[in-house]
Amino acid sequence: MKQGKVILASAVVALVALLGGALWWVAQVAPESPLTVDNPRVRMVPGGGPMAGYMEIGNHGDSPIRLVAADSPAFGNVMIHRTVVRDGQARMEHQRDGVEIQPGDSAVFKPRDLHLMLMQPQTELEVGDTVAVVLTFEGIEPADWPIAFTVVPVTSQ
Amino acid sequence: MNPARVSLRSVTASVAALAIALFLGGCGEDEWHGKNITGLMPELEFELIDENGDPVTEEVFAGEPVAMYFGFTHCPDICPTTLARLAAAARRLPESIGKNLQLAFVSVDPARDDPDQLERYTDAFSDRMLGLTGTQKQLRALTRRYRVTFGYEEPGADGSYEVSHSSAILVFDAELEPRLMLLDDLNVAQIAEDLERLLEGSRSDS
Ligand SMILES: [Cu+2]
Repeated sequence: MKQGKVILASAVVALVALLGGALWWVAQVAPESPLTVDNPRVRMVPGGGPMAGYMEIGNHGDSPIRLVAADSPAFGNVMIHRTVVRDGQARMEHQRDGVEIQPGDSAVFKPRDLHLMLMQPQTELEVGDTVAVVLTFEGIEPADWPIAFTVVPVTSQ
Repeated sequence: MNPARVSLRSVTASVAALAIALFLGGCGEDEWHGKNITGLMPELEFELIDENGDPVTEEVFAGEPVAMYFGFTHCPDICPTTLARLAAAARRLPESIGKNLQLAFVSVDPARDDPDQLERYTDAFSDRMLGLTGTQKQLRALTRRYRVTFGYEEPGADGSYEVSHSSAILVFDAELEPRLMLLDDLNVAQIAEDLERLLEGSRSDS
């Protein structure tokens, strides 16, 4: 008797796991989002100065979109920057017109390139913390996309 | 005095010089990932202040090779990227040749980078990285010596401003002679290879 109950219980657990897996798969794959943000991360910089935010934004829709602003309660001011090295001289250029992403294309925010310039940290952050950042786009509805960024070590590339 | 002989001799000398230049250009240069600047610039010399706020000169590195980078702590993108690569490359060196290598971060933004700020920033990369800064005059003297420059851009509405600065790491040998310029596109393995080759070479020379 007891053994039968155990087998039944195992079967129920397996069924629930299968159903759960299927639902997860559907959620991940089926209704494709017109916009994806992969590997959103904030690179920790100690000392209270600005930090850089990196990610890959994919446009899966059929018209161009443009990242025009970013905002976070964890930082006093957020700008869109690109690091440019010319004749051995490095500087950061404010992307006043934002960043346009063509359909089927993606914008890669990565070290020595495009980055979110996250200025005036409002709290002491630690590696592993999650930081909320709202990305604002033109050419897509809704315009505001809240994204959870993970704080990674200053030494990560 | 036979003019024909003189010109023949100078032609021979030119050919020899060309051959040496081709030889060096052909194999010597190519082995470095960075740029070999041996003999092109004067030896290290500066007056700056350190992470304790104390005045220091190049004597602080006397007898030890040093890799130096110019930047500012409100630089969250290229500065940490370069400093982390340099620190990782230094850790990768064999103990016997890497143990004396010093790392230096010279802030060209003294208005925001006081000694405490410098210490917090450099400690995040390596405990052997020394933070340095100085007056505008002191910083200009050092950067001009190595033909690099820095500048400040217009402040934004919140008063914050960006700083332009050299993107390369300068490497000096134990005699404080400038030897290598490591450009910002080198990866950790390439920086480590160049440092190992330079430090191994200068060790066997002495
Ligand atoms: Cu920036």
